[in-house]
Amino acid sequence: MNYKTIFRIVGLMLLVEGAALLISLLIAWLAGGSDVMAFAWSSLACLVPGLLLVMATRKSSMMISRTEGFLIVTLVWLIFSLFGTLPYIFSRTIPGFADAFFETMSGFTTTGASVVDNLETFPKGILFWRALTHWLGGMGIIVLFLTMMPAFGIGGMQLYSAEVPGMTVEKISPRIYQTARIVWGVYVLLTLVEVVLLMFGGMSLFDSVCHAFATMATGGFSTKQASIAFWPSPYIQYVITLFMFLAGTNFTLLYFAGRGKFSRLFRDEEFRYYFLFVLGFTILIFSGLLISTKLPAEQAFRDSLFTVVSVITTTGFVTADYLMWRPVLYMLVFILFFFGGSTGSTGGGVKIMRIVLLLKNSYYELRRIIHPSGVIPVKFNKHAIEPRVISNVLAFFMFYLMVFFVSTVILMIFVGDMDTSMGAVASCLGNIGPGLGSVGPVFTYSAVPDAGKVFLSLLMMLGRLELFTVLVIFSPSFWTDQ
Amino acid sequence: MKVVIAGAGEVGTHLARMLSHENHDIVLMDNDPEKLAQISREVDLMTVTGSAHSFVDLKETGLNKADLFIAVTTSEERNVLACAMASYLGVARTIARINNSEYLQARYREKLKNMGIHEFIYPESLAAKEIVSSVKLTGTRQYFEFSGGKLILMGIKIRGNAPIVNRPLEELGSLLKDIVAVSISRGNENIIPSGKDMILSGDVVYFVTNRSTQQRLFELTGKELFEVKNIMFLGGSRIAQKTIEKLGDNYRIKVIEVNRERCSMIADQFENVLVINGDGRNLDLLQEEGLAKMDAFIATTGSSEVNLLSCHLAKSIGIKRTVAEVENFALINTAENMDIGTIVNKKLIAASYIYRFTLNAEISNVKCLTSSEAEVFEFIAKPGTRIIEKPVRELDFPSEAKLGGIIRGDQGFVASGNMQVQEGDKVVVFTVPSGMKKLEKFFK
Repeated sequence: MNYKTIFRIVGLMLLVEGAALLISLLIAWLAGGSDVMAFAWSSLACLVPGLLLVMATRKSSMMISRTEGFLIVTLVWLIFSLFGTLPYIFSRTIPGFADAFFETMSGFTTTGASVVDNLETFPKGILFWRALTHWLGGMGIIVLFLTMMPAFGIGGMQLYSAEVPGMTVEKISPRIYQTARIVWGVYVLLTLVEVVLLMFGGMSLFDSVCHAFATMATGGFSTKQASIAFWPSPYIQYVITLFMFLAGTNFTLLYFAGRGKFSRLFRDEEFRYYFLFVLGFTILIFSGLLISTKLPAEQAFRDSLFTVVSVITTTGFVTADYLMWRPVLYMLVFILFFFGGSTGSTGGGVKIMRIVLLLKNSYYELRRIIHPSGVIPVKFNKHAIEPRVISNVLAFFMFYLMVFFVSTVILMIFVGDMDTSMGAVASCLGNIGPGLGSVGPVFTYSAVPDAGKVFLSLLMMLGRLELFTVLVIFSPSFWTDQ
Repeated sequence: MKVVIAGAGEVGTHLARMLSHENHDIVLMDNDPEKLAQISREVDLMTVTGSAHSFVDLKETGLNKADLFIAVTTSEERNVLACAMASYLGVARTIARINNSEYLQARYREKLKNMGIHEFIYPESLAAKEIVSSVKLTGTRQYFEFSGGKLILMGIKIRGNAPIVNRPLEELGSLLKDIVAVSISRGNENIIPSGKDMILSGDVVYFVTNRSTQQRLFELTGKELFEVKNIMFLGGSRIAQKTIEKLGDNYRIKVIEVNRERCSMIADQFENVLVINGDGRNLDLLQEEGLAKMDAFIATTGSSEVNLLSCHLAKSIGIKRTVAEVENFALINTAENMDIGTIVNKKLIAASYIYRFTLNAEISNVKCLTSSEAEVFEFIAKPGTRIIEKPVRELDFPSEAKLGGIIRGDQGFVASGNMQVQEGDKVVVFTVPSGMKKLEKFFK
């Protein structure tokens, strides 16, 4: 284990975080809020240790092994979230550490679950920092770091694949830093377009930026306690729906679509299923709403579409309280908690590709039973998927379920009620935001005890880094086989 | 530079690795996703699964924006076809790997160029050339000429009997006039020597010198030259056949080959060769065929291990010149420690040959050394560069690099401290990879 390199990267990342805090400082200063000093101290608290670490580890090698990659990414996420609590604590907006840690982790992992019950009283700097944590974490802080570091070579690849969601890393360009730049470029561009479109709908510049950050990162933090329901304008809600949908799409496909190759989008099997799932669940919930409520047809459609896209992409914005719907309808929403966005998107959860592979594999298993000697591979995008990949997906899903059930039991010790525990765990593990019961769409997580909040924060990180990156560190062979 | 390589075989992957480390953007294509997955875990490159002779798959690699296309799949026909197709799709330059010297003939070159196949690489032929030069020049491990022999690079294994052994280089003074030791390989270590370094017994030292001093260098390194007459080849591989062809009629050659069909093919092809059908691992057979009387022993079977062990054996019974083909990189260092003479690595030779097509304008030639990680570059000194400002002594040259000599007009000069490089000179420089960046500053 090359600790010098690990510390150097942690140091460099602290500098990146310090720079992000300086941007928030600028916003706070422009808004003339009470939080200017909080940001000044926070950025200093990042920059000083960051600089010291970087200076102390000069001349460290740029080689990063697979195992080091996992450790670095996990450490960086943990440390980023720890330092990210400082503005909340210093500005006394969220004074408790457990609360601040929950809020920060929820920001970086793009969960969007909040402990804040009085959002309207927050200064603008803090609101901006909340949105910025989403935006940085959405495309990945490590990926952002790689765009600035061409020198990493294959070491960068280890970091990239440990952070980016999905099973395989699809390179668009020969070098990993070029790929990272392209993906971030698409991300920045879409964010800008959304800002403009939201302003067009009457949102202020500040709210547009914050919401664009939260949408493109599939985060879910709003600047208003009522979330998107604060803006009843159908235009704004449809724009956000569209961009949530895009953010849940594979960014490689978006890049090719942007270059005029639209056919690639619909040729991609994962995108087709993603589209179908959104369509199917929307139709089901829409018709359910039409039958069971007296909502106007347009609003019922908008609410169901918004909720489905918001949950499947793991954004977690809210326009309607799904818990007020018939239980069968919110059960449908809860099923979507386990879907997630596409691979290579900013969405969390299990990911569409894994779900599709699992479904196909189980279905083919029936045929395999009828034809014991048949060679029946699982195909995806017209290519046979190797059994090793299938076994990886099965292992992932098993881990996911195991973590879900064990964590639900653990959380029930703190919370007591099963609906709330199941909803909170599924929501945090999938990086969604709103859950069930007392952590439903119109409530916050403020009632959960501190220990429960820290526990849920770690679940968010586990989910964001797709289990394996974190879990592998706890396997004995990670430390002994070096 | 953007380079597309078709074929993730041994040459292809080695090239991809080397060029990627030199900061070129590499796209590697092959029809075996397994092979591609393997290399993309180790090297920062993009991979495309597909056939080298499919227009659709070639387009996937972004050929129209690439500067160089290298086809090194196993099949010659496919390489040639792929290069023609790649040219059509807009790549600037193509290189095809071949195993047939017909393509190299001057009268067909123009025609092939019109088809879009610009350069050819024939690894077996290049390897054969190295073997021939090491058989003809018995004192050296590796022999390389710059600008038609105006300067010479020789890799020499130093034994205890060499007069220059165990003395700091700066003390040797006038003994080493017109000779520069540019790189020392000791075990796994690689030293760019300064005046205080010593040459020890067992080192492989690379010297730059000129033709007239060559003889004195052999004396200083305690090498007795001898004439090679009897040569035994173990394995009648393509390299062996090519070597026999290049050696000409002045040698008595025996070839031991296990495959009967190949035996008859070689016997059919060459007049002055005695072909023996048998397993080279069979010691009795080798003894019976007069192994002890051989002047040179060349092992080029498909197995690196067999080549190594048989050369070791040949050395131990007193054969002075042995050449082993070692294709397994991991074995090269071991081979060096085992003391088995010259090592030939087809991939390394091919890769270093292709390497020169990726170089900047200021570099005119390059050579990778088999038993050392150092590389030799022939730079052209351009006007306004730092290298021509001061005499060599005052240049503050990086310690990872060493000046070997310069070629000015028709004459070669071995490097000395007082020398000043002039505009238009060709400068022969040695460097380990880490020195390359610093070195470039002197020539830009």
